[in-house]
Amino acid sequence: MSFSNLLMKSGLNHGLRGTPATVVLISTRQGHRLRGKPPGVARTLEQRLREETVTDPEVVARINIGFPQLKESRSAQLKTRLEHLKMQRANKQLEQLARSQKLIIDLDKVQQTYVQTTGQHDLRLLADHYGIFEHLYGSAYFVPRVPLSISYELGGDTLTPVYNGNVIKPAEAAKTPLVSFDGQRDPITGKSAAGQDSYWTLLATNPDAHYTNPSAECLHWFIANIPNGRVSAGQVLAEYLPPFPPKGVGYQRMVFVLYKQQAAMDLSSYQLASSDYSNLEKRTFSTLEFYRQHQEQLTPAGLAFYQTNWDESLTEFYHDVLNLKEPVYEYDFPKPYLADQKFFPLKQPFNLYMDKHRDEKQLNKEYLQRKLAKSHPFDGPAKPLRFPNAHPIKDVPSWLKTEIRKQRLGTGRIQDY
Amino acid sequence: MSRSARPLTSARVLHKIKALTTPQSNEGFVVNRNPRNLERLRIAYKPSGYHLEKPGRSYWHTLEINTSGRYVSADVKHYENGVILSASTAEWAIKQQLYKTNDTSAFVNLGRVLAHRCLQSGITEMTCNVDAVAGSKLQKLLQTLQDNGVSFKEPTRLKNSQPWDAYRQEKPWEVSEQSIPATPLQTTATKSKQK
Repeated sequence: MSFSNLLMKSGLNHGLRGTPATVVLISTRQGHRLRGKPPGVARTLEQRLREETVTDPEVVARINIGFPQLKESRSAQLKTRLEHLKMQRANKQLEQLARSQKLIIDLDKVQQTYVQTTGQHDLRLLADHYGIFEHLYGSAYFVPRVPLSISYELGGDTLTPVYNGNVIKPAEAAKTPLVSFDGQRDPITGKSAAGQDSYWTLLATNPDAHYTNPSAECLHWFIANIPNGRVSAGQVLAEYLPPFPPKGVGYQRMVFVLYKQQAAMDLSSYQLASSDYSNLEKRTFSTLEFYRQHQEQLTPAGLAFYQTNWDESLTEFYHDVLNLKEPVYEYDFPKPYLADQKFFPLKQPFNLYMDKHRDEKQLNKEYLQRKLAKSHPFDGPAKPLRFPNAHPIKDVPSWLKTEIRKQRLGTGRIQDY
Repeated sequence: MSRSARPLTSARVLHKIKALTTPQSNEGFVVNRNPRNLERLRIAYKPSGYHLEKPGRSYWHTLEINTSGRYVSADVKHYENGVILSASTAEWAIKQQLYKTNDTSAFVNLGRVLAHRCLQSGITEMTCNVDAVAGSKLQKLLQTLQDNGVSFKEPTRLKNSQPWDAYRQEKPWEVSEQSIPATPLQTTATKSKQK
């Protein structure tokens, strides 16, 4: 039987007639069948997932709502750059430093050139990584053409700058930040357009802060009609409200977006009364809705954002400023999947199996009662044993032995009570 | 027919899983939409890759270094979003201050620039599968990155502990930050007046 699997004779009749018999040997593996398609033909999980989540490129196409950039001529740029590089190569001092591995370049100068050259595109990629455009503008995006410099003042000469995604604690972000940008700079050409008056709008929102509507944002700061980059001369529509990430929610994003206005605008409908400073309902905001209404007059030009999470300074802030009881959240892990309970669960420890399927409240009650029964009303709970495994456990079934051992060592459910 | 005697169908399993993962309407809940939040809290999904694969693909962020005949570039890659941070000596911002774009000084300075960008973007923990010969310029790049605040150790994913588990894991968000003073990102920046 097994031999017939290994050998398949063909041309037997020919062999009888005297022609050379050809025996084809086909090897088969007993007891092993290839499940599914053979490797090479079968697609990987990655390929299958990609095919399943296929999207229409026309539907998900994204729109650039920012400023275009007028590049200077490549030949002129190359000319100055090559000249500069030639000078660098001829610099004996620089060569000496480089060869002795002591060359330390100026990071501030790198940053300065970077934000004016490739940094804008890199910031756009990073903002996408942080989901900024998706949650603020839906399917639109922009390339931030105007470098924004925002920093919070700490005591003394220390500043906490806002870059793109760094973590700043609420205690550091309590005061109104210093904002500066080059208001005379034309975002398209990148050159200074002095003489012409330009107006700007600065908006700070938090897309993760809304308590009731997950798709809404919380407005933290709104300044309109900033003339020529002088932020202090702008029209403050909403005073600065510090971030207040609740305990347990994790890291929220605070996003500063700078818009360039066509001309001075009347945005007084967004004016927040000083009595509504801490009214979170009034501070509900939707950047997409705002942009839709004013897209003829406004163009996003600058972006900066940071992440922030809970710290102790917020307890006071919740009580004094927001007049709220401080909320505490915890990440809601998905509950474990349990198969339906069986009448006769085979190979399962009966006590653990029953505990998994019992009413949680009843279980908690029993554990607590057992704990309280052992603790003295005045002296508190009994002292833990010094060598918990050294005391013999006698005359009890083995499952109870295990339970007592677990209790003494403090492993398992006992830790929750 | 009692429930236990009913045959288990995939529809019933899916129904049960859905009921377990949707929040109860009477419970107050908020949604943090920050896509990087769960990675910071160590809860987010992290691909495990294949057992014998090298280099592994079990990371949220990883460092990738490409050297060519003339330039060197270092990228930070996310497992889903691809390259999110990059620095290269071919970049004009860096190149204009260098003497040569692939000597040891270039490697070290590239490390400084990338570390600066990592700190600015809040991505300071990543895996690094780059094999560098001891004493090589590549190794100096990696060392510079580490010296400037980038860590090549990514924390493991935090698994939810069940009531019947023997041990409980410490949850990072329950650790009090009272002992850790809040420090600004950049040590000291010069004070600038608002325009």
